[in-house]
Amino acid sequence: MHEFSLAIEVVNLAGREAEKNGNRAIREISIEVGDLSGVEADAFESALGLLVRDSILGRAEVKIVRTPGIGNCLACQIDFEMSHRMATCPVCNCFPSEIRGGTEFRVVSLVVD
Amino acid sequence: MCETCGCGDSGQFKVFDQNHKHAHHDQEADHVHPHDHSHDHSHPHDHDHRHGTVINLNVDILSENNKLAQLNRRYFAGRKVLCLNLVSSPGSGKTTILEKTIKALIPTRKLAVIEGDQQTFLDADRIEKSGAPAIQINTGSGCHLDARMVELATEKLEIEFGSILFIENVGNLVCPALFDLGESKRVVVISITEGEDKPLKYPYMFQSSDLCLINKSDLLPYVDFDVAKAIGYARSLNPKLEFILVSAKTGEGLDLWYDWLAKQK
Repeated sequence: MHEFSLAIEVVNLAGREAEKNGNRAIREISIEVGDLSGVEADAFESALGLLVRDSILGRAEVKIVRTPGIGNCLACQIDFEMSHRMATCPVCNCFPSEIRGGTEFRVVSLVVD
Repeated sequence: MCETCGCGDSGQFKVFDQNHKHAHHDQEADHVHPHDHSHDHSHPHDHDHRHGTVINLNVDILSENNKLAQLNRRYFAGRKVLCLNLVSSPGSGKTTILEKTIKALIPTRKLAVIEGDQQTFLDADRIEKSGAPAIQINTGSGCHLDARMVELATEKLEIEFGSILFIENVGNLVCPALFDLGESKRVVVISITEGEDKPLKYPYMFQSSDLCLINKSDLLPYVDFDVAKAIGYARSLNPKLEFILVSAKTGEGLDLWYDWLAKQK
């Protein structure tokens, strides 16, 4: 259940950014969670929902954007969508030689007053 | 964030002194953490339709942990310390492998151990009996070690120049995969009583590891574990992963493990 620790990181990060910007109230926070990031987006959202109540994000709208996993198959020279880490190339059924997307887990932006 | 010691409110992890006499971070410490207030009264809530200012960040949420891990890494590099993060599910034999390794290598190599468990300092006691200095971190409710815990532990543990530092992570194949501790190499331990499909079930851990120790080889005649299949599964996820089949009980394969250790810079 590392999603709770990660949610704490988000609240701390938002606090530091708000401070840099003259402690203006945060209206919105946008977070990107990749399907291959190792973060369970639903569990993370629940954890964050519990944590933000009395925090700097107490009145902010939390927007979670999920990005799909993208694998590259060197043999078939194609990119394909991966819904999970074990997804294989739809043409040759091999594991991807490279993961090109979906590992993101980041705060994209804040909207402050 | 706790103002007194800089810990996170929900962390409640403890780093013990080498003699386990007192915790750095005891819940009965002389500072108190503010309790949570419920917040169920309603606020007047006028909607403000002015446009806010957008601050683009694109900051990795694990960046704080990653920064601390980099600092740990530099600290270890400066002291020529080889730091290994040992991860596995509970009961794979990490502590027994460490006990054997310490007994074999302590005459010729400086060693130190950081032990991570949710509770107890049983493992640190076992390690110290085998002859290496050890420090215990109890994560409390936490399911993994993070870079900050390791930083605090290294402040307490005397790690001599040129040592190998083994960090025995909390037994868990899920969460520790995401948290860089500043290690030089990550070693995943599986045992043949666990089933050869472990790599497929926990791909993140096998993708992020450098070496896989397959332990309890002495039980191979009694269980249906196909070593080649397990290696095949893991290699399909991580072609660079190395493997050593060992038995901490009989000592089989441990020489190969010691050779691997000697080769690491």
